Amino acid sequence: MTAPALRRSATHPFWQAVGILVIAYIVVVWVVPLLPGSAIVPKSVVLQYMVTVLVGVLIYVSDNEERWARFKEPIEAVLAEPRLRVVRAVLLVVVTALVGLVAYGQVATTVAAPPNLRSIHPAPPAEITFRGRSITLTGLENPLRAHPESLALYLAEGKGVYYRNCLPCHGDHLDGQGHFASGFNPLPANFQDNGTIAQLTESFVFWRVAKGGPGLPREGTPWNSAMPKWEDFLTEREIWSVILFLYDQTGWTPRTWEKTGTGDGGRGTGHD
Amino acid sequence: MIDGLLVLALLAPLVPRPPSLVPLQDTTKGKAVYVKWCAGCHGDGGAGDGPSAAHMLPRPRNFTGAIYKIRSTASGQLPTDADLMRAIDEGLPGSAMPAWKGRLSDGERRDVAGYIKTFSAFFADTSQHAAALKFSGEPGGGTGAAALKTGRQFYDSIGCRKCHGDQGRGDGPSAPTLKDDAGFPIFAADLHQSWRFRGGGSAADIYHRLRTGLDGTPMPSFSDLIDQKFLTDEQLWRLAQYVRSLSPPDPPEVRDVIHAPQIAGPAPVSPDDSAWARADRYWFPLVGQVVRKARWFAPAVTGVWVQALHDGHTLALRLSWDDRTQSPDSAWLGFEQRVLETVAGDDSGPPKAEPWPDQLAVQFPRRLPEGSGGMERPYFLMGSETDPVYQWRWTSRPRKSVAGLARGIERFDTLPGALAGQASFDHGEWRLVFTRALATPDTANEVQLEAGRAIPVAFFGWDGSSGEHGSRMAVSTWYFLALDRPTPPGVFISPVLAMLVTLGLGLVVVRRARRRGTARAGRQR
Repeated sequence: MTAPALRRSATHPFWQAVGILVIAYIVVVWVVPLLPGSAIVPKSVVLQYMVTVLVGVLIYVSDNEERWARFKEPIEAVLAEPRLRVVRAVLLVVVTALVGLVAYGQVATTVAAPPNLRSIHPAPPAEITFRGRSITLTGLENPLRAHPESLALYLAEGKGVYYRNCLPCHGDHLDGQGHFASGFNPLPANFQDNGTIAQLTESFVFWRVAKGGPGLPREGTPWNSAMPKWEDFLTEREIWSVILFLYDQTGWTPRTWEKTGTGDGGRGTGHD
Repeated sequence: MIDGLLVLALLAPLVPRPPSLVPLQDTTKGKAVYVKWCAGCHGDGGAGDGPSAAHMLPRPRNFTGAIYKIRSTASGQLPTDADLMRAIDEGLPGSAMPAWKGRLSDGERRDVAGYIKTFSAFFADTSQHAAALKFSGEPGGGTGAAALKTGRQFYDSIGCRKCHGDQGRGDGPSAPTLKDDAGFPIFAADLHQSWRFRGGGSAADIYHRLRTGLDGTPMPSFSDLIDQKFLTDEQLWRLAQYVRSLSPPDPPEVRDVIHAPQIAGPAPVSPDDSAWARADRYWFPLVGQVVRKARWFAPAVTGVWVQALHDGHTLALRLSWDDRTQSPDSAWLGFEQRVLETVAGDDSGPPKAEPWPDQLAVQFPRRLPEGSGGMERPYFLMGSETDPVYQWRWTSRPRKSVAGLARGIERFDTLPGALAGQASFDHGEWRLVFTRALATPDTANEVQLEAGRAIPVAFFGWDGSSGEHGSRMAVSTWYFLALDRPTPPGVFISPVLAMLVTLGLGLVVVRRARRRGTARAGRQR
């Protein structure tokens, strides 16, 4: 295309509209996922965005009588001009084939895995039984933190517990990508992520470690979780020490119980 | 001079340099990184004896000996800084060593590489420093029949098959005798799983390993054979390309749903039936059973390939997996004992090696999940006392297949009636076909295989010669099996209708536009 022809197209409302739609598509499909914290935009959302953009474009081109007439020119030309017979035929065939393809995609069913909906942080019980002893979780803090002079010792102990037990799944970097992680679904928890231990009280973590997958309520899909019931392997102190290690190694601070006196005031903060 | 250095130092962060040229130096910072992220496996003193080491096979590297498997230098030489950086950055696939790139900063990784060199005096001695070998570029045509034939010829003539076996699955006659320099048992690599090669799975990576050898292991360097004119550099490349050709072009991708197409003929009962050539293969990774006592941290079966077909009445499920032995095999009893002694578990002492068979289990729920989106199913690890699972179990000796109910790992109750299973062993690969009627009379215990449903399925594998038995096994999570129905002709009605309507509307629009255009032209005239 020559430069003057290009300039003419750039100022033509029809080609402007096409350009805006193409740019919008590129932005939604390729640029948005690159933004930090974004993900790939689902197809249905892309369709919504594109319809919105299309409506905006139509409002703009139809706002002014002359612009509307110029906008329609190329469309009418393709539909009516005898010299554009080939373009017209190709367009008809392509549109028809596309409609057929989309319709087939809608009706041809294939079996997919059922949705795996689960509550990531289900509500914890107020109380658990640990090796026959009852422990009240509500308001419970990590008892090892009451001995700051021995913290280094507890941390070393927790590190040993982690590397002997947790490493194959939760990984060297505590990001849930250990060498066995790929074999499980759901994937092991990523402690580096701001959505796991960073959001939880240590008592919640204690419950999850002690009772594991089998101790999850139904909404936590206990049948899928490969998290062992660690009370079968570890003592209470070992669990508290490995929890210290998780927070120390990742740099997160545990969520604390709000001081709201007695009752259920501070229970379950953010555990949903 | 000092000014010049200062300017250079200030500019340094602005000038990108290849990582290999950046000096590995700050060992104080390196020590902090090492203690925090590496010592758990490699030990505070770098001897490869951190708290997790006893659960690993292969063991974490012992840095005090300065012997490294993955190098670009000649056999027996120290690795280059770039070699150390590569192991840290990319990790060692097939082992517990992760890729630290993206987990630690560039600076942290360089510092820690500098620090691990301080564990051995060899690195301080500059006379010991070695340069990378000059590697030639890969000759073209590496996937052609002639190249692979040449490669195969040298595979046989330079003795690869002694350890790696005739077909490359690590099942050669010397395999059960292999130990590394520290005396730990070591498996000859399964050359059909290039995605697990420690130094990378490309033909170039394989060529580099052939040139350098894997120091500290029985894998030698073959550079001297080039010097002795036993083979040319190009022929060594052909060998690398042949080895590469044994694995799939890309690492297998895990897909959630196994599709079993419906075929016209009867469902194949033999694993070597030609019908299997047309069925899609699905890969499922298996990992160690580390959930219940006694845990197992060194699973030998790393995954299964699964294919499924049905004929409307019978389902045929074909499983194939790599296994170095037809267990029990007395030649491997010593190796098995060494594995059990090396890999710590929950037992007070290492269990005694026994002539265990190989086993494979396929697991289903007893009934297809109903309600709540069809999500709920029994516990993935062999169900529970109250919610058992329905399993097909095969053992290599006695060679038999049974169906039954598992209530947790410890309890399996056989159901009456035989399960059809046919297995063959071929050069380190088991191929097994289970066949069963889609519908059975025992609807309470035996899953009814309905077409068009997502049927939960899971897999378990045991290699007897690696000491695997009972809870010492490789496990998978739940996946799904779907028996496809042939596409009913009715499906095509609505797309065809939609196309006709579109075409009709299009023609109407065109005709009206043309009529309008003619009318306008008439008016203007």
